[in-house]
Amino acid sequence: MHNVPILSIICYLPLAGALLIAFGFKSSQGALIRKLATGIVFVDFLLSLPLWFLFNRSGELFQFRESLPWIESIGVRYEFGIDGIALLLVLLTTLLGVLAFLSSWTAIHDREKEYYIFLLLLQTGMLGVFMALDFFLFYVFWEVMLVPMYFLIGIWGGPRRLYAAIKFFLYTLVGSVLMLLGILALYFYNSDGLFGWKGLGNPKTFSIIQFHEIGHLIPPDLQFWIFLAFFVGFAIKVPMFPFHTWLPDAHVEAPTAGSVILAGVLLKMGTYGFVRFSLPILPAATMKLLPWVAGLALVGIIYGALVAMAQKDMKKLVAYSSVSHLGFVMLGMFALNGPGVNGSVLQMINHGLSTGALFLLVGVIYERRHTRAIADYGGLSQVMPLYATIFLIITMSSIGLPTLNGFIGEFTILVGAFNRVWWWGVIASLGIVLGAAYMLWMYQRVFFGPLTNPDNKGLQDLNRREILYLAPIVILCFWIGLYPKPFLQVLEKPVNYVVAKVDPHYAAATTVATAPVVPAAPVAVAGE
Amino acid sequence: MPNAQEYLVLAPEILLAFAGLLMLLAGAIGRGMGNRDSALVGFVSLALTAGLLVYVQFYRVQPAGGKLRILGDSFVLDGFSFYIKALVLGATALTVLLSVRFLEEGNYRASEYYSLLLLATSGMLFMASGYTLLTIWISLETMALASYILAGYFKRERRSVEAALKYFILGAMSSGILLYGISLLYGAAGTVQLDKLSQRLADPALHGNYLVPLGWLLLAAGLFFKVAVVPFHIWTPDVYVGAPTPVTAWLAVASKGASFAILLRILYEGLGSVSVEWQKIVAIVAVITMVWGNIAALTQDNVKRMLAYSSIAHAGYILIGVLAVSQVGLWSVLFYLLAYTFITMGAFGTVILLERREYAGETCADYAGLARRSPFLAAMMLLFMVALTGIPPTGGFVGKFYLFAAALQGGWGWVALVGVLTSAISLYYYFRIVLYMYLKDSEQTTPTPLQAPALVGAIAFCALATLALGIFPGPFIELAKQSLLPLP
Repeated sequence: MHNVPILSIICYLPLAGALLIAFGFKSSQGALIRKLATGIVFVDFLLSLPLWFLFNRSGELFQFRESLPWIESIGVRYEFGIDGIALLLVLLTTLLGVLAFLSSWTAIHDREKEYYIFLLLLQTGMLGVFMALDFFLFYVFWEVMLVPMYFLIGIWGGPRRLYAAIKFFLYTLVGSVLMLLGILALYFYNSDGLFGWKGLGNPKTFSIIQFHEIGHLIPPDLQFWIFLAFFVGFAIKVPMFPFHTWLPDAHVEAPTAGSVILAGVLLKMGTYGFVRFSLPILPAATMKLLPWVAGLALVGIIYGALVAMAQKDMKKLVAYSSVSHLGFVMLGMFALNGPGVNGSVLQMINHGLSTGALFLLVGVIYERRHTRAIADYGGLSQVMPLYATIFLIITMSSIGLPTLNGFIGEFTILVGAFNRVWWWGVIASLGIVLGAAYMLWMYQRVFFGPLTNPDNKGLQDLNRREILYLAPIVILCFWIGLYPKPFLQVLEKPVNYVVAKVDPHYAAATTVATAPVVPAAPVAVAGE
Repeated sequence: MPNAQEYLVLAPEILLAFAGLLMLLAGAIGRGMGNRDSALVGFVSLALTAGLLVYVQFYRVQPAGGKLRILGDSFVLDGFSFYIKALVLGATALTVLLSVRFLEEGNYRASEYYSLLLLATSGMLFMASGYTLLTIWISLETMALASYILAGYFKRERRSVEAALKYFILGAMSSGILLYGISLLYGAAGTVQLDKLSQRLADPALHGNYLVPLGWLLLAAGLFFKVAVVPFHIWTPDVYVGAPTPVTAWLAVASKGASFAILLRILYEGLGSVSVEWQKIVAIVAVITMVWGNIAALTQDNVKRMLAYSSIAHAGYILIGVLAVSQVGLWSVLFYLLAYTFITMGAFGTVILLERREYAGETCADYAGLARRSPFLAAMMLLFMVALTGIPPTGGFVGKFYLFAAALQGGWGWVALVGVLTSAISLYYYFRIVLYMYLKDSEQTTPTPLQAPALVGAIAFCALATLALGIFPGPFIELAKQSLLPLP
């Protein structure tokens, strides 16, 4: 089992599928292509499931490692491997992939062959980002992924798709190229040195693990500049206020599947970047810029919620709610303590599930009525009871109602935030209240009240395919909400690792605090 | 007097020049050679030259320690010259493939065209090996004179004639400036041989002699004109648009590559001792070139003109590697020239496939809906545009990556910063074509691509090479590393 390059297989299966469709099928075979493509991502999802079971919770930090020389003259290696954080994100990607493909069956009729090719390529790009343990390789996937997303928005998007597509691409590209300079600076500092800084003289490498090792050795002023370069790249992707302006455009114009993947997975690449690179590699700069980043996160939480409240378009509302929710993720992460980072990573998954589901749900109704304006609806619970129920569950999950996943994530983030600076928690709590307000208000306007619009009277409730792709999310929302332990277990080791790297004092303090508890367990066992 | 041994080492250049002359003769007899025959002869001559080049390199030059100087130290054979010559020959061979169908469309005589192409290329081979300022200048003129005629080869097209005239007048002026710079340097240093020149310039006795900075500034200005960087780029857009498109591709790739070769050779070997001074000038020129080239390209609607500005911008990126004055800088320049060759040839090849008489099919709008009509051609053009922007997994990305790495390592952080930001901006105009190909629907009038197997084959080859350079750059980097110039 250890010799099977399982990560590579999962990563490249969609690519192989895309090539197969590109060369083996004609544009006229749309029905066949959509089944084949969905089959491929489904197999990919099945292949990724064993990762969950085979992943050793108490073993090495990074598992399923693959390592091959790639460009030897500059020390680039082909390295794959996942820790608990990446494991969850990989599973989220493969799962949302299947759902996004299923949701496209009736939504996309035009140029299906190209559509599924781009969607498959996107899948490979995203999986590679979460699996790469070589910074060069990571960057390759990080950028490759932009091209198919550009097409998904640009070809199958709404009326302003051309503008939204290039805006998305340009924004993220500017961020990525600055990140590239940061990567190069790390690379040279690890080996020969650059500018005035004398290098560490290590062999040339882009290994992320090696960069983690040297993090505390990098002089603070160099860390500051690298942090800024990374920050622009990741913050645009997250997106943090004030770099978020591409997001509403991209979300509103993208087709449903594009929005699901954009919100569910793509945005997580930014937060993943912070937790994988900025925090552990640049601890001094992280500490120094902590108030600024947390401040922006707080502004994002409140601003996103307020703007969401003013939206008349359902999709735009969900898009701005993402700005607010990702503010939470960032706030928890920059609390730099166990609960904060834990909650932050868990909330990435939660947001992927609930916002992904919200976009799917908006897509369902958009397909039937071709409008997303809240004002066009009202009283839908009378004609679409099942739809209304699922929508309610997801709304509650998004708000953070106990027993659902959002609660666990937001609660742990708030604990972390209170522990760092108490008033961060207070402001963030305000954000939760606002979140409940705009979500419930939208729900009320769409589903309750009299069914006045005659166009809505004949609406069909969810069909079997739609139930099929919504059900897994609902189940997962309850699972994480009621029994989050398996997820927190997977996260425990990597989160402790990150916290120990970025804030050794805090990590040491908590280890001492919990020390008496640890030996207690064997005693209890012995007493039986 | 050159001895037999020296003639043998010169065999590639001699063969190519003879082939060119013979074709000129053949064109003058009767109705001349047909288009396809001439192309075949041209292609075969290039292949034979390449074979001889490899023979000379591996059986004559490498046994002699990897560096051979002949003809009274005016002609040098080393890894660098070999790399540049191989690149130039490859680019010219691709140009021949690009030209066949295009000449038929235009209905112009062919044998003179290919003859001029070969003669100019033999000039480029001499440029790659020139070791005195005079040999370099003469070989540069050999290339340039043939290029002027080629630019105006479509003599019934007004734009082509205009291009030739502009190219000739400005080119002649820049050659004059170059020669004037050479004469000043000669006046100060008393030699035109590169290594001796460098030694003399290091002499403290020459400090404060105003002829030296004036001389190398004029020399550099002439070279900057040839590689087409701002502010010496004014001729480029007009010439690139007016010249027959295969010639444009050839000017943008082969001519630019050979010009960069002499730029590197002169700056590193001839002016190596004053490198600290010219580095600043090169840095400034690189930055304004990247900025202006990219900004000017943003508003272009004609694809050839856009590619002209893009080639200016790319010359700016290559200068980043030049100014780093390091091994990394050198081999990134060499690698980038290779990647740029395939990408640019491929892009111009696609333009040719869509072009019609009188330069129809050159605007962005002519690409509308191409993805529906010929998906694979559109996919290849997409790949070239992605590569020009510098997005992985293409040779364009790897090349830019090394250039920026070289800049950072050399302490030129601000130049690298301008480089990455301008290449992000360049996305906008490269993807304008993609936008038309994929995101817009075609109108009735848009041209369908030509049926030209050789041309399509050349484009596909370029596409594969672009991908290979992006995914497996290792062997090509090793090749570039074998071909370095000595650092000053």
